[in-house]
Amino acid sequence: MAGWFALPREWISSFGEIAKFSGKILGQVYSLRVLHFFGETLRQCGVLILGSTLVIWGLVFIVGLQCGIEGAYFTRAQGAPAYAGVFAAWCDLREIVPYGFGYMMSAKVGTGIVAELGSMRISDEIDALEVMGIDSVLFLCATRLLASWLVLPFMYMAAVGAGFFASYLAVVQQIGEVSSGGFSLIFWMFQNPPDLLYSVIKGMVMATAIVLVGCYYGYHAGGGPVGVGTATAKSMVMNIVLVHLIGMLGTQVFWGANPRAPIGG
Amino acid sequence: MVSTVADRAFAPARSLLEEVGDMMILTGKTMVSALRPPYPYGSEFVGQFLFALRLCWLPLLISTVAVSYGAPGLQAANFLILFGALDRLGGFFVLAIIREFAPFVCAIIVAGVAGTAITADLGARKIREELDALQVLGVDPVKNLVVPRFLALMLVTGLFDIFAIIFGITGGLIATLVNGAPLGPFWATFFTNASTTDLWGSLLKCTMFGAITAIVCCYKGMTASGGAEGVGKAVNQAVVITFLGVFAFNYVFTQTLLATHPEITVIR
Repeated sequence: MAGWFALPREWISSFGEIAKFSGKILGQVYSLRVLHFFGETLRQCGVLILGSTLVIWGLVFIVGLQCGIEGAYFTRAQGAPAYAGVFAAWCDLREIVPYGFGYMMSAKVGTGIVAELGSMRISDEIDALEVMGIDSVLFLCATRLLASWLVLPFMYMAAVGAGFFASYLAVVQQIGEVSSGGFSLIFWMFQNPPDLLYSVIKGMVMATAIVLVGCYYGYHAGGGPVGVGTATAKSMVMNIVLVHLIGMLGTQVFWGANPRAPIGG
Repeated sequence: MVSTVADRAFAPARSLLEEVGDMMILTGKTMVSALRPPYPYGSEFVGQFLFALRLCWLPLLISTVAVSYGAPGLQAANFLILFGALDRLGGFFVLAIIREFAPFVCAIIVAGVAGTAITADLGARKIREELDALQVLGVDPVKNLVVPRFLALMLVTGLFDIFAIIFGITGGLIATLVNGAPLGPFWATFFTNASTTDLWGSLLKCTMFGAITAIVCCYKGMTASGGAEGVGKAVNQAVVITFLGVFAFNYVFTQTLLATHPEITVIR
């Protein structure tokens, strides 16, 4: 019976540690001490842009296609194929793009951070940094968090664009029951800039949580090469659950009480 | 000069294609050795099955309730309330949960939880040269390590689909109750719209997701190299490739199912 509850037990026991560690990193970023290592921050930005953007856009593009076909078939069944834009607009901007972004962030960036920091920990590089008098949390974790805050809002908005483009392709070019103009009219009618802002906030909260969890598991990895692999796997579990919970809370907070739809009075 | 530029541009594409080809070969080998006697993988299969079950049940429970309460629950309920038709939420949940969210959340959780653990495990064995030792002893790693994981993940993902559907519907029920509506109309529209085609489509899709996850994760684990960083990197690449593969397959499968079975899209 013990194995069945190993995971929640571990979450509970490590939750305080993660919160403390995250608080430390956030404090270092907000007190601007991280700017001592602005060069390293920019290097991390470069790593993020070159390594992760294309994969994230790719995944969001695929889920955008998915939204498009489901919307097209669903509205056709309702007898209103011209309104496929409503489904695509809400599904893309509010739900699927944040989720797709969160999934790929945790898969690509989160586990990447754990693998990198974990192998540094195993090969005693982090201890070497400390010996040289460099604050290792500041140098390794805070710079990564600041880098993700600098890069990801823009990457996220471009990802929203990729999702929209994919839905357009699926609904108008592939299924083809609504004209391009008709789709765009309804599609843009059912969203406005505050919706985009809320969606970006949702994505950024997910990204912050993922980077912090990744930093925690990587920084505290132990137990040789096997330990790095296990830490990577563990961080993935926590990240996926966090992505889903943040997605739900974001929906509840931003759209729970107000559908923000141009219908009725 | 030209050839170096061409090499730089095409080397990643070429290595990607090579990897996909290798995974296909591994799939073929796995299927052949799963069917050809002897069958020494029984206990390993049970072990892996229980391992995945033990690790995944709680993350999957939390995730499906959260996703279905947020995405289709609240958003669709908000939309339907504008038309005074909240009872149609049950019908929408057939599309949302059975066809879409349950299989893909299931795949994401199994890939993120069990898949990463498999890659970490096999990668560690590869790094410690245990896989080579097995081969020297005359034990086939594909038959004894990959086949049980492949079968166990397929079965566990398929069964978890039912679990995910149940808890996904729970999320919809919560959304209905939050809006102060009775549950009777939800169930009524749910059961009139649900069809067996939807259910077997969902189960088949989920089983295939399990197969993709198992092959990618085993392949990445068995080809890990380069010490501590290598295992971490293998896990990283394994989840990325699995997610892309799962969603690409999801698109093709859903499109095919919707186009070949028009009766499931009819609203009743």
